[in-house]
Amino acid sequence: MAITFEKVNFSYGAGTTLARSILHDVTLQIATGQVTAIVGQTGSGKSTLIQHINGLLKPTSGRIIIDDFQLTASTKEKILVQLRKNVGIVFQFPENQLFANTVLEDVMYAPLNFGATKAEAKLAAEQALKRVGVSSELWYRSPFELSGGQMRRVAMAGALSSNPNVVIMDEPAAGLDPKGQAELLNLVQELKALGKTVVFISHQMDHVIAVADQVIVMQNGHVVAQESPKKLFNRDLSWFETMKLDLPKAGQLAEKLRKNGVFLSRRPLTLIELADLINKEVDHE
Amino acid sequence: MKHSIKRKNYDKIRVMNQAIKINNLKYNYDSEQTLFHDFNLEIESGQWVALVGHNGSGKSTLAKLILGLIESESGEISVFGEKLSIDTVHHVREQIGMVFQNPDNQFVGATVADDVAFGLENKQLPSSDMPQVIDEALTIVGMQDFKDREPHMLSGGQKQRVALASVLALQPKIIILDEATAMLDPDGRATIMKTLQNLKLKFGSELTLITITHDMDEAILADRVVVINDGQLILDGEPSDVFSQYDILRQNGLELPFVVELEAQLKPQPDGYLNERELIQWLSHLKK
Repeated sequence: MAITFEKVNFSYGAGTTLARSILHDVTLQIATGQVTAIVGQTGSGKSTLIQHINGLLKPTSGRIIIDDFQLTASTKEKILVQLRKNVGIVFQFPENQLFANTVLEDVMYAPLNFGATKAEAKLAAEQALKRVGVSSELWYRSPFELSGGQMRRVAMAGALSSNPNVVIMDEPAAGLDPKGQAELLNLVQELKALGKTVVFISHQMDHVIAVADQVIVMQNGHVVAQESPKKLFNRDLSWFETMKLDLPKAGQLAEKLRKNGVFLSRRPLTLIELADLINKEVDHE
Repeated sequence: MKHSIKRKNYDKIRVMNQAIKINNLKYNYDSEQTLFHDFNLEIESGQWVALVGHNGSGKSTLAKLILGLIESESGEISVFGEKLSIDTVHHVREQIGMVFQNPDNQFVGATVADDVAFGLENKQLPSSDMPQVIDEALTIVGMQDFKDREPHMLSGGQKQRVALASVLALQPKIIILDEATAMLDPDGRATIMKTLQNLKLKFGSELTLITITHDMDEAILADRVVVINDGQLILDGEPSDVFSQYDILRQNGLELPFVVELEAQLKPQPDGYLNERELIQWLSHLKK
């Protein structure tokens, strides 16, 4: 499912004296089957942006086209169900989207809601829970007894259980331990291999370089860059300072080395690249 | 006789220097799952301790036990020498400020300033003193310009800074941050870590900090790193000692700091663990 934003503006409290404008003339494209990372400072409009993809928020002006579905200010609430079936979303705080008595019931909710039978929903839920690594011992426990990392996985299974073509995740790695983060990156790659379109918000540039095909950079509600991670992370250092964005850790360390007289032939973006470049440099001497 | 009095005083001072003492703690999730079994930990007053472990290792449960939010099966928890019990739990909580991972669950006020005021009202601070206390607390976390905003309209990082301000306003002796920076952007995270460092400088031994995290770049800022897994104390020491135990950290589902990973890939390799600054120095000398 290709996603296009055309001159999308969004204000909270539009038309009132309290209106606060969040998105400004956002125009962007997300290709089908690709992994897109959305980055930018806190408050830059990233979460607001992604909530438009499944119609949780509607644009104040402009339009969003998700395959053949068009979302505008006047889109009726009733027809949004078609869109939501195709777009699964995992919010920033997964606890907020859990509600059922057991983990399994929670994950079954979406398929049931979209018309599956109980048996179909159960099968879909079990598959989704296995995919995100929630062991079957936990399926009949209350989701509220779980640890933060486990809750994240259950919320993710809930978003996957209706087999959506688009999966949206708002900072899915935040709060996960290193092992959980590695598993999450694997899950993203697995979803891509299944032909799904994945959009995720991240502050971790190492995750962006690891899995994203495309990066969208937001600042103050504007899209200020939309390109491949490789191209983005080779921009001038001053640009990153202006945007208050980090380089991947390898790039950050390379910059510190440069300031101390150790010059590498190019900017490394991963640990392996950095190690290779340092080893070559030391070898030459 | 004299001697024993002296001895008694000494013990009293020593106890008073202990912010938290956990003795033979036992806690079960339910009848089948034991988490803590004979767990012991002492945290000195004024120390900054990073409590690290993977998700589900028992870090947050330990914080809840210290606050008396959940009850242990057996064992003792003392806060500044006061044993935690039904009678003392309120007094113990007055001394501990807690910032949870999810800031949404800790908001009560209609505006940011109201939210900070809530705790102060409970403490019956005269309302004439409140504006100044609120302003100071919000300034420390860089949220003073947001004081008339509605908390639910803030982004995750901004909310978390307000939550910290609410705690700071109450001037607790111990602050526990339970993965409080996990949801922040790099800038927000740096602001919080800088704020904690400033607080430590400002209050010194008056403030005990416990940061629960699995981010090793955060843990390195603490005086002491305590690694727990499945309710067991795995490692306990200064950051440099703990980070040199690569295998143990990996076995316990934790990552190594970036520089340590890098050092393993280098040819030639430095002798032993170097922190980032030392590694950069070492490499620049190697070039000369």
